[in-house]
Amino acid sequence: MKENTNILTIITWGVLLAAVSVLLNDMREFDFNQFEKFQNWARTADKSENWFTSKNAIEWSYYIISAALFFWRGYLIYGFSYFLSILKEIENGNYFSDKNICYFKKIGNIFIWYTVNVLVLRFLLALIGESTFNFFNELKAEFTFLIPAGLAFYILAEIFKRGKEVEEDNELTI
Amino acid sequence: MSIKVNLDIVLSERNMKSKELAEIIGITEANLSILKSGKAKAIRFSTLEAICKALDCQPSDILEYIED
Repeated sequence: MKENTNILTIITWGVLLAAVSVLLNDMREFDFNQFEKFQNWARTADKSENWFTSKNAIEWSYYIISAALFFWRGYLIYGFSYFLSILKEIENGNYFSDKNICYFKKIGNIFIWYTVNVLVLRFLLALIGESTFNFFNELKAEFTFLIPAGLAFYILAEIFKRGKEVEEDNELTI
Repeated sequence: MSIKVNLDIVLSERNMKSKELAEIIGITEANLSILKSGKAKAIRFSTLEAICKALDCQPSDILEYIED
């Protein structure tokens, strides 16, 4: 079992590092310097123009939504990092520990929150005209599978909770 | 719990210490203490058999049902 955990830990580290490097690369490619041109927004904004529909407001929204998308991707990677904690617990022989139950719930939460928030953000991005949004196409996208995966982790947490009770019963059987 | 473990009484009747019994039946003192204190959730037939053999008694001497 220890060998398997070691292999899984190495794979998880590989996935995590790859995900972080992809995220960092995407952030590097996203030109954050463009924020600078909005720094004098108050001075350059046309006072007669409606704030909500002004070009500046729309572009600001675009950058804020893009930044939020980066944040959620980082949050998803943070969720993946819990796999390492679970593997560590398993390596120590604590299969049905409270920590593992908690980690499974956290991963489930993160997967579901990520998917819902990214869907909303993509919808908002389409609203301001920076991209297209087709709900059914979004559902087909890979990330929507994270909702069933999140639910599966909730179920795993419940199974592990029951496993913990059975383990306690077994320990108290003399 | 409605099942009372009277192991202490039987042990004192036999002038035997918990440590000795634990050694004879092959369980740890900690587990025997769990059994004596009534914290155990279940007892294996093999453990019960070993205890009865070591103390030369019947299961009913060790276990007693008390109505709640």
